[in-house]
Amino acid sequence: MWNLFKKLAVGLVVGGVLAGIAHSQEVPFSFQLLFIAIALVGAMTFTLLDAPAMNTMSGGKAAFAVAVFWLFLIMVCVAGASLLPQFDPEDEKAKIGKLLDKERKQSAQGKTEELIARAKALDEQVKALENRLKGIGGGQAVTPSPPAGEKPAATVSTGSGDMMKVGEEQWQLQECYNCHKLRGEGGKKRGPELDNIGSLLTVEEIQQKIADPKSFMAEGYEKEWTKGIMPNKFKDLMDPKEMQALAAWLGTFKNAAVNTPKPIKKN
Amino acid sequence: MKKLSSSLLALAVLISLCVVGVSSGYAQEVGASSVEFPYTGNRTAVWIVAQLHILFAAFILGAPIFVVISEWLGYRKQEPRYDRLAKEITKVTVILFSMTAVTGGLFIFVLLAAYPQFTTSFINQFYVVFAILYPALFIAETILMYAYLYTWDIWKGEKKGRHIALGVLLNLVCLLILFVINGPTSFMNTPPKAEGVSPQDFIAAATLWDKIANQSWFPLSLHRIDGNVAFGGFIAGMIAAYMYMGSKTQEERAYYDWMGFAAIWIAVGGSLLQPFTGLLLAYEMCDYDFSFCPYMMADQLSMFFETQGIMIGLLFLGINYYSWLSVKRIEGADNVRITILAPMVLVVLLPATMWVMNSYWIPDPMSLAFLLPLTLSPFLLGRFVPVTVSARTVIKIGFIIMLISDAVWLTPAGFVATGTDMPDEMKLPEGWDYLSSMPAKLSAILTLVFVTIVNFVLYNRAIKQGTILWGKIDFASQFVLIFLAFTSTWIMGLMGAVRSLLKKYFHTYSLVSDLSVESFTPTLSYSAGWITAISVFFIAIVSAAALIAIRPSVARVKESEASSVPIAVK
Repeated sequence: MWNLFKKLAVGLVVGGVLAGIAHSQEVPFSFQLLFIAIALVGAMTFTLLDAPAMNTMSGGKAAFAVAVFWLFLIMVCVAGASLLPQFDPEDEKAKIGKLLDKERKQSAQGKTEELIARAKALDEQVKALENRLKGIGGGQAVTPSPPAGEKPAATVSTGSGDMMKVGEEQWQLQECYNCHKLRGEGGKKRGPELDNIGSLLTVEEIQQKIADPKSFMAEGYEKEWTKGIMPNKFKDLMDPKEMQALAAWLGTFKNAAVNTPKPIKKN
Repeated sequence: MKKLSSSLLALAVLISLCVVGVSSGYAQEVGASSVEFPYTGNRTAVWIVAQLHILFAAFILGAPIFVVISEWLGYRKQEPRYDRLAKEITKVTVILFSMTAVTGGLFIFVLLAAYPQFTTSFINQFYVVFAILYPALFIAETILMYAYLYTWDIWKGEKKGRHIALGVLLNLVCLLILFVINGPTSFMNTPPKAEGVSPQDFIAAATLWDKIANQSWFPLSLHRIDGNVAFGGFIAGMIAAYMYMGSKTQEERAYYDWMGFAAIWIAVGGSLLQPFTGLLLAYEMCDYDFSFCPYMMADQLSMFFETQGIMIGLLFLGINYYSWLSVKRIEGADNVRITILAPMVLVVLLPATMWVMNSYWIPDPMSLAFLLPLTLSPFLLGRFVPVTVSARTVIKIGFIIMLISDAVWLTPAGFVATGTDMPDEMKLPEGWDYLSSMPAKLSAILTLVFVTIVNFVLYNRAIKQGTILWGKIDFASQFVLIFLAFTSTWIMGLMGAVRSLLKKYFHTYSLVSDLSVESFTPTLSYSAGWITAISVFFIAIVSAAALIAIRPSVARVKESEASSVPIAVK
């Protein structure tokens, strides 16, 4: 037991010192906790290294020990993973919903859902009609409600405001921010910062770059360009209008204060 | 009026029924799923069965490699216990072989029920594989496996070479199966593509070979080969632990202590290669589509990789702790010493590798020009340095280095679920951020592997200079063996989930979308729950198979063997 306390004390001191250094350097608290946890795992490891040999068990005692050990492992795995930050699938569901919306509507499943919705709408219409008829009979006027399940006709607009909205939405849906910084957000230095891209490329050229990433190379990104880091898939994931909207939206970024590297025409 | 409204209502109901009927009929016709698995949902149902099948398949493909190596060692060293180990594991493998077939069949049924349209088109894509190659190889494997087991006692003595050759043939067929089935599996992640052609057009014109030999096929196969060897070893180690705990005599304990040791020795061989083949697979995936990389390392799956880091860190700690306990049961191990270069390299390796990796990122050969001489120096130059350090001290230094490497490996850019919307106050500050870089992670892995190699070199020296007291190992070691088997199974489950989730909202990446409502990344907590349940179920079945297959043979050995296994073997 003395061995355990000694090692635990050393672990706490080492963890405390590490956390102290980290704190003084403004390292976030979660990392300080990680350093303390590692130091405590170290203390436990060294306790085990110097621990006296465990007595041999057999029969029911061994089976019980194994069962307890299994329970411990299961609990650690389930609880341990739950303690880490959890990604909220709702964030992704909304995005994926938008990305797959067109396909879903075209698919059999979409058609089925649409037909069911139409059937429900018909049912609602009948009910509304029935109510109206009842109303006529009873001297009450019933305003028919719009059929449920029937979406109001989408306002088709080619206005620039809508286009910008679609462009920005595509930026989010295609997760361009994972590699490109824009408005000070996103990007991990994998791709160039794009705040001044509108001054360097026309909308058509931006669209060409999205459709064919090898068409332009950002200065200083030769290695990334040679390796084809920008995926050559967006022309398959977006329809031409969406791509055009994204390009048009990006074309509005003309912030000369940001050093967007010069694009070089390649092919 | 009442009549009119009733008629209209009836008409509407009729129309509704007709429309719904048509829609259901249409859905059936084109194959949309009409099945909803209760509680789990369709995707998790497929996940459970697929993961179980892969675990059984990994064991039955990995164990024969392990078994033949053991049989060959027994033949070469003329040591019967290697032969006994090989035979016992083969018996377990044969039982689990049927479980593989059962879960494989179930997998197809569940897949067809849950995703009929996709499954049908996928089978059509790989018709030759699913209808001819795979069944033919599976039948060949079945025949060879049973022949291998049932010729064991017939082909012995002078005919042993023939039996080993049969085992090698079995392994070749197993490897072929692995390569063949990895074709469709890897295709779902990285279907072949070409510039200037739409993915659909390219696939329509692609040959079967084009589809099989996609970008992640070979690295995935390599990763699965060493993974299966390691997995087979860890599971055999767990079986040895159970048998050790149930042993009634010192002879039995001596044998199962040795079996656990031999199993872990082979498992470690596979484990040491795993980080590198895993990195190769990740490298090829990112090369195929760079968006895989941020998805894995920075975004939705970043905490899955944090968990992987924790589990692999614990796996390496467990392996080395077992090695430590093994050294403790060697008489004379205290006198074992090693050149001072070994602890010196241990101490400098992590920072040196981090510097090298930052300066010459792989595959730049300059990184090897620095790292190879450094890591080989204790073994090549050690004899010229007269100063030595005791084995126990070196192992303890190794543990400290391992813990530091684990800390580096576990340090993310920030403890958040997704890196995209990480607030600045959660990020590692400048000056510390190199700890979260890929060069730092790679350096940590390399150091973990190096420490393990040094420990096993020390163990080998201890064996040569001392006397192993088989059956006298610290009883805690048996829990370590169980822990290693569970951890290895769990990591396989986790990484299986990661590989599958990498397809994002596609069944086949960028080709066939998953239009179901379950097409999203689940939480780590949810995934961990299922991975744990699958692992426990798998291990329970393996444990039962081991008891069924091995217990009777133990009884026979006790009856027939007049001479016991020596307790102390030098």
